[in-house]
Amino acid sequence: MGNGTSGTSAIVAEDLRKHYGKTKAVDGISFSVGAGEVFGMLGPNGAGKSTTIEMIEGLRTADGGSVSVLGLRQPKDARQIKRRIGIQLQTTALYPRLTVMEILDLFHTFFPGRKTIPTSELIRIVDLDEKKDTRSKALSGGQKQRLSVALALVNDPEILFLDEPTTGMDPQARRQLWDVIERLKAQGKTILLTTHYMEEAAQLCDRVAIVDHGKIIELGAPADLVQHHFSEIAIQFQAVGSANDYRGLDGVTHVAAEDGTISVYTADVPRTMAALLAREATSGTLRNLNVHTATLEDVFLKLTGRALRD
Amino acid sequence: MKTILSLYRAAMKEFFRDRMATFWTLAFPILFIVLFGFIFSGGGSPSYSVGLVNQDNGPVANQLASVFSIPKALTVKPSNLDIAMANLKKGQLDMVIVLPAGLSDAVQSGGSAQVQMYFDPSKNQTNAQIEQNIVQQIVDSFNKGITQQKTVLTLQTNSITSHNLRTIDFLMPGILAMALMQLGLFGTAQPLVSLREEGVLRRLGATPLPRWHLLASQVLMRVTIGLIQTVLIVGLSVEVFNVQIQGNYLELLGLVVLGAFTFVGLGYLIAAISRTVDAAAGISSAVNFPMMFLSGVFFPLAILPAFLTPIVRALPLTYLADAVRQVSIGSVPDFPIMVDVLVLVAWTLVCGLLAARFFKWE
Repeated sequence: MGNGTSGTSAIVAEDLRKHYGKTKAVDGISFSVGAGEVFGMLGPNGAGKSTTIEMIEGLRTADGGSVSVLGLRQPKDARQIKRRIGIQLQTTALYPRLTVMEILDLFHTFFPGRKTIPTSELIRIVDLDEKKDTRSKALSGGQKQRLSVALALVNDPEILFLDEPTTGMDPQARRQLWDVIERLKAQGKTILLTTHYMEEAAQLCDRVAIVDHGKIIELGAPADLVQHHFSEIAIQFQAVGSANDYRGLDGVTHVAAEDGTISVYTADVPRTMAALLAREATSGTLRNLNVHTATLEDVFLKLTGRALRD
Repeated sequence: MKTILSLYRAAMKEFFRDRMATFWTLAFPILFIVLFGFIFSGGGSPSYSVGLVNQDNGPVANQLASVFSIPKALTVKPSNLDIAMANLKKGQLDMVIVLPAGLSDAVQSGGSAQVQMYFDPSKNQTNAQIEQNIVQQIVDSFNKGITQQKTVLTLQTNSITSHNLRTIDFLMPGILAMALMQLGLFGTAQPLVSLREEGVLRRLGATPLPRWHLLASQVLMRVTIGLIQTVLIVGLSVEVFNVQIQGNYLELLGLVVLGAFTFVGLGYLIAAISRTVDAAAGISSAVNFPMMFLSGVFFPLAILPAFLTPIVRALPLTYLADAVRQVSIGSVPDFPIMVDVLVLVAWTLVCGLLAARFFKWE
């Protein structure tokens, strides 16, 4: 993979910048993606993820910084890079009156001299067999997205770019596309994807960059990020009383109370739980008791003070 | 080349599967031709009263006169020229046929003679055309009866108004030019902006496809549609409404291709300055209407008031309609044909360059 100059890195982005007037859409983003890695950019809408991915793809020119893809430079080698990568855009637009097969066949002719994946196989990869003779405007949102992934795969790309691939999909369609992406991942395909779904990043990505206001605010494997920021686990319940009532429990490091829900943080769930239950058995009732394992969502909340999907 | 052909095929499929586009570019002009061809002719089998002026009274002329009373569509009233012409003007006769003195002698001595036909196209253009056909057929069959090959009698038709063209003759080239214009406006600007608005151009930009491949395929596809329009409009006019093409078909083809380029170029320019499909539709309509009525498509430029002349002369359709009309029916030119061609070339270049400068792919 790659052709040398950047070693095993399929993508190297250094200090990327893009300004629109006074807005710094991308404000100094740097990261690299290894060959065979699935790398995710996670962040809310407007964080600068799409602008970043499009500068790497060569669809937008950067105001600053540098991009190397497969050892080639953007924007100098843009056409050569486009021959070797597969791009799925955030909004999928296709010839509305052509069928799935016709559009795929058409895209094959855009890569003269390059080995392409046959249309029939692409249709099988994205599970669109039943819709192969359907005009694209009659496809559902999820089917369109899968066709869009198939189009990105036509030239058997060395890197696959997916920009918000499951946005607006119902849970079933999302699962279906995740299956497709996981099969590609299992084949060792290098993938750069953006998403604002925490579950998607956690499920698909080897490493995640959390992006906010045009900057990467945290970068690492999903489990490591959670581990790093939340070494404790929260026991949550609704109860009469204040946070102070629970600070003295065994193993508790700190307590938070919000809207009547008490969150008791502990590194040792069984010990704290035992103490809590022993005490509440005599003093009252616990309602909606649950143990909450932190997610990337919580990491984002902790880092920015905002929820990811605001 | 393979890429351009694939894009061309895709664009053709898109076009023919788009009912609005096919309606405006193909059905609409055909509808015009058919409407103008039939609208005045009414239903059922028409009957025409003919004033027959036999100035010859020789054997051939008398025989010919009796032939005219055979068709059911004609009611023949023998008359003299002055009374017949007066009745034609009053509308009591639909046409006057004059068998001139000396006709029999000429035919019998192996020469040829002319049958005169008078009608008033200002009263009823379509009928005039049908009448003319009937009379022509009679003369033709009479010719065949006299000789096997040689044409001894020719029919000369005389319109009693200033010009000699039937409405359909005049309209056909205008409708063809109008169809090419609408191909550029409704068949180019809007679909192109919609491809951009929906992000198809952006998606294609995410492949290594060179942009000129896309451009070439789109222009080729539209010129093809222009040629299909031409075949339909000219074919229908010639076959059904008996329009005679005077000029060379190759010249007509050249003009059609040039006109298609001009208006597809204008369409690209409108697409370049329109941000939305609605804006493109608005600008297209705003361009369409003045051109339809001020470019001599439906009526001669001469009847337009003088103060409109600068506008008329600025419109490219004026020159395309004039050139197509000259070449197809040999009408009196409004401008020399080279001026028409040069103005169209200039419009094409200006539109093309401006569109190339301002067209946004995203």
